[in-house]
Amino acid sequence: MVGPGSSPEVYFPEDGPGDPRIPPGGGSRRSRILGGDASQRNVWIAVASTAIFFGVLTIIVVRSPGWPEVKQSFFNGQEFKESFPLIVRKFVRNITIFCVAEVLVLAFALFLAVLRSLPGPVFTPIRILSAAYTDLFRGMPTILVIFLLGYGMPALNLQGVPDSDFFWAIVALVLVYSAYVAEVYRAGIQSVHGSQTAAARSLGLSRWQSMRYVILPQAVRRVIPPLLNDFIGLQKDSALVAFLGVTEGFQQATIIQQSDFNFTPFVALALVYIVFTIPQARLVDRMIARDQRRRQAGATL
Amino acid sequence: MRRAVLGFAIVALVAVACAPKSTTSAASGSPAQSCAVDSMNLHAPGTLTIATGNPAYSPWYGGKSVAGSDWKSSSFTGDPHTGKGYESAFAYALAQQMGFTQGQVDWIGIPFGKSFAPGPKDFDFAMQQISITAKRAQAVDFSDGYYNVNQALIADNGSPAIGVTTLAGLKDLKLGAPVGTTSLQVIQDEVRPNVEPAVYPDLDTALKDLKNGQIDGVVVDFPDAFYGYADQIVGQFPPIGGQQEQFGLAFQKGNSLVSCVNQAIAALKSNGTLQQLQDQWLTTDTNVPVFS
Repeated sequence: MVGPGSSPEVYFPEDGPGDPRIPPGGGSRRSRILGGDASQRNVWIAVASTAIFFGVLTIIVVRSPGWPEVKQSFFNGQEFKESFPLIVRKFVRNITIFCVAEVLVLAFALFLAVLRSLPGPVFTPIRILSAAYTDLFRGMPTILVIFLLGYGMPALNLQGVPDSDFFWAIVALVLVYSAYVAEVYRAGIQSVHGSQTAAARSLGLSRWQSMRYVILPQAVRRVIPPLLNDFIGLQKDSALVAFLGVTEGFQQATIIQQSDFNFTPFVALALVYIVFTIPQARLVDRMIARDQRRRQAGATL
Repeated sequence: MRRAVLGFAIVALVAVACAPKSTTSAASGSPAQSCAVDSMNLHAPGTLTIATGNPAYSPWYGGKSVAGSDWKSSSFTGDPHTGKGYESAFAYALAQQMGFTQGQVDWIGIPFGKSFAPGPKDFDFAMQQISITAKRAQAVDFSDGYYNVNQALIADNGSPAIGVTTLAGLKDLKLGAPVGTTSLQVIQDEVRPNVEPAVYPDLDTALKDLKNGQIDGVVVDFPDAFYGYADQIVGQFPPIGGQQEQFGLAFQKGNSLVSCVNQAIAALKSNGTLQQLQDQWLTTDTNVPVFS
């Protein structure tokens, strides 16, 4: 295994001039959504087409034979009014869970990624361990890890091992998401051209120093958008801790759903999630676009 | 402009293509139908299809797993096909009363949410210790009650719950219950605890946390309390709001089968079968103290 910090004779893929995912000169955001050059006529056609499409869809849904029943059990105004405040209050617990978990994930995953990028034959066992960890926790469904830890660890009855469901929920999420995020970091580290290490080393920096002051700052900056993506994933998976008996947003919605036989609380919770995650998704878009502009402007990084 | 028109046509076509499949709405049979097996409104003609949970817990379901059945029996679970356990025995008695043979009863396992999800069902009714409430009756039609149930608190030796005799004494305990049960409602409405109750996906996980010492006690349906799930029965609760809680069968709204089932339940009540089944399958110890 060859890490990016090893000898400079090794071939490294060329650091491309720009992100291939975004075509250069993609036009203004508005015109991209509306499709092509935004002449007056095209705008009207786009508006009409959109209106017809969604209009017909709405009519089909609303006039479907099952709509009254679906409306009563999924879009029930009274039920929404009653459940929404309760769900929001419990969603605060999700926020706590995924914020605490995210901080730990970012730190632990970076540690894993650096371990895996250690050069030289001496560190082979450490690289193997780190790779095995990533394979193991990326290969298991999150819900399984949560179940195994949440019900298994407290059963050990070990002195000093906390038995709080909340604690184990966070541990499980950190273990699983660190595996994903470590891979993201590693991709970032490998994307930094080998000449950077060579230059740093020739300036007299140690291997550790060149990793710390030259490679990592560039690597991390490049992977911020995918990191945010994983963070959004973590936010959604925080609902899984409901299965340990932690009453968070999803469990609260389930409680109301099963006691009232009505699915509206789930719609309410979905709304909470969407309101929470969409601004973050837009933020990622903007960061990618900014990164793109900066690279095209010819700035080194 | 021609292309624009063509575009609109395609867009409209795509939207129409998402139209629902036209179902012949035959669900609503006339209320004056007869209750003969051939003329009842059944999901599968000639068969009574009953939905329940999997696993199916004792004492509601018992017996050794039948060959080919989806249900696994253990010391805490049973197989609905056996006719053992109160609900299974009641189901076969009910079917017989309605004119079905034992072979004409079919069971399917469903997650709880499916018993009240809107839309056509792939069963005739759900039988899963479902308590009748007014709110729930907005989403499903209930049969008449087939069991009067109370709630009880169970705990393991060493728990602070042991020896408590009043509702006030339970306030500071960490109690647990499965989600969607009246057991949870009892904690919220009767105990009104200072500690937030722990809510579990099912009884199994609640009991696991009880064994792990993470909670002080679990509230269960009264007959469950005798099933050795925990060391001791601490006590039973007075009914929520003073109203006797009952289990009912849950039907899709407007299903005309309800009236036929209700006739059969009434017959089983008046000829003593229901009481006899309860005596046979459920321990109804009257010595368990009621929390005051």
